[in-house]
Amino acid sequence: MFRHVVQWVVWKDLLTEFRSRETLSSMLFFALIVIFIFSFSFSMNQQAAQELIAGIIWVAFAFTGMIGLGKSFSAELQNDCLEYLQGSPAAKGAIYAGKVAANFMFMLIVEIILFPLFVIFFNLDVIEQISLLLLIFFLATFGLSAVGTLFSALTVQIRAREVMLPILLLPLVVPVMIAAVEATKGALNGDPLPMYQQWLELLAIFNVVFTVVSFWLFDFIIDA
Amino acid sequence: MISKVVRRLRRFQGWFGGLAAGCLVAGLYLGLLASPPDYYQGEVARIMYIHVPLAHTALLAYTVVFAGSLWYLWKRDPLIDNVCHAAAGLSALFTALALVTGMIWAKPTWNTWWTWDARLTSFALLFFILLGYLMLRTFIDHPEREARYAAVLAIVGFLDLPIIHFSVEWWRTLHQPQSISLRGVSISSGLLIPLVIMSIGMSLLFAYMLILRTQLLYLSRLLETKRGRLLSQFHFSKADP
Amino acid sequence: MTSFYLRWTGVLLVGMLFGGLLYAHYTQHLASLTPEQLLHQMPSGEVRLRGLVKSGSLQGELEQGKAVFELVGERVSVTVQYAGPPPENLRELKTLIVVGRWDPMSNTFYARDLALLPHYGFVTSAYVAGLVPLVIVVFSMARRVNALYEEIKRSTVYQPEATPYVDT
Repeated sequence: MFRHVVQWVVWKDLLTEFRSRETLSSMLFFALIVIFIFSFSFSMNQQAAQELIAGIIWVAFAFTGMIGLGKSFSAELQNDCLEYLQGSPAAKGAIYAGKVAANFMFMLIVEIILFPLFVIFFNLDVIEQISLLLLIFFLATFGLSAVGTLFSALTVQIRAREVMLPILLLPLVVPVMIAAVEATKGALNGDPLPMYQQWLELLAIFNVVFTVVSFWLFDFIIDA
Repeated sequence: MISKVVRRLRRFQGWFGGLAAGCLVAGLYLGLLASPPDYYQGEVARIMYIHVPLAHTALLAYTVVFAGSLWYLWKRDPLIDNVCHAAAGLSALFTALALVTGMIWAKPTWNTWWTWDARLTSFALLFFILLGYLMLRTFIDHPEREARYAAVLAIVGFLDLPIIHFSVEWWRTLHQPQSISLRGVSISSGLLIPLVIMSIGMSLLFAYMLILRTQLLYLSRLLETKRGRLLSQFHFSKADP
Repeated sequence: MTSFYLRWTGVLLVGMLFGGLLYAHYTQHLASLTPEQLLHQMPSGEVRLRGLVKSGSLQGELEQGKAVFELVGERVSVTVQYAGPPPENLRELKTLIVVGRWDPMSNTFYARDLALLPHYGFVTSAYVAGLVPLVIVVFSMARRVNALYEEIKRSTVYQPEATPYVDT
């Protein structure tokens, strides 16, 4: 039962997205602009790029993630879909899990499309580190979407929701940002894994703690 | 009309206020006049007696918010929600004051107003989380939903704090040159006694302020509902005939 | 409400008393002569002398509380012979206040006590910045709570007056 609800929520979100292509296209376009703005505002040479690129990557990913997360529940406002979700007899945790999975997929898809652009624009050398980078993206994106989905649901029914989501979410995901930037920097520099392994562990701990907590607290948010 | 708990709080609040004032005066006397200056930092170390209690109390206040939020989600008692709301506002106040006194202390000892020290940075983030909490509460019109959402935010933020602290600490050891030594003040017993008394006094002052602010929030809501009732009586009576 | 304001006047008075006490205590700590003034005035009694410990001039057994060093003012320096409790803050290039007598015969200042020259500006501003907002917040909350109780009491008294609208 639980698994079916998760599947259906994910399926529903993917199908809507496939039909409208609203979220993915706006996320991609926004991220592309962020990349260009950054390269203009720092006028980067090769050396500066080495220093700054990990930070730029994660700022771009986090802000595009905000767009995706904000849309995740505000899309449900049309046609009172949210009230049906609230009123449905399905376990609220299953809805949460489905939403997390869908948001995670959107964000990861955008990241996988964007990362080659970073590689091209900033002349990065990533061939040997690609699997590690993917692991970092996976962990950090999961952390962002686990907390982000909770706060997307929390801010959707209040005034000024577009502003409140980043204001509430960004201070809370500071550990994810720090860990992701440091680990990405380590991987891009080709450092040996033990030098930045602690950041991966931190990401894993964050993910476990906040998936459990958000899963439990989601009940109280989607409560008619 | 006014709940029994609130009336009892009102009766006993004076004790907290009086004890807090007594402890603070005694602590200030011991800290500023009677205790010797610190070996390394001299007179400037006396800022410790105000800064550390403020920081402790800010964390104590946030712990109250956290415990109260759990309790609210369990029992759904509006008075507990008032306690949480009051404690969050006070925690934001104490955090801001701890940051300001910390910056004033940092200038003569580290020769800079701000360093990206783990404690300073996580306190600044705590301040942002609390401001977000207070903002969230103003953006929701439905009182019950406001209480529920705020409780969720408070719980997530509280569990996040240690993780934020550790991540910033690791990040700092990577990026800061160790030339600025962030050695804590070596605590001897002569310095410890005023510090403990000030901490107790500040916690009691927080308790007193919490009682006051809880009453404030409770009473203003009560008054609002009362006025709403009067207003609706007025409207109905006009509409009826 | 009168008792409320009386109580807060008491708090204010205690605060002012305490502040005055602190101010007196610390100005007394700061009162001192510079080496120039000392050589000019040649005081015979016990005085407090303020100056910087000259680099390379400090010698003696600090653990036994005996030391000789030079205190520098703006132009002149004074030899100080210290004998007293083991000094904690005696290091070179520190600005000190030493307490003792000036002996014109040997051109030496015999000190029995010393302390760092404190700068109270930071301490004062920290305490003002920490305590004043707290007091203001407590005061305004207490006043507001009292006003709310009054208002609630009044609104229960006036509640029956809402009924006259019924029979219009």
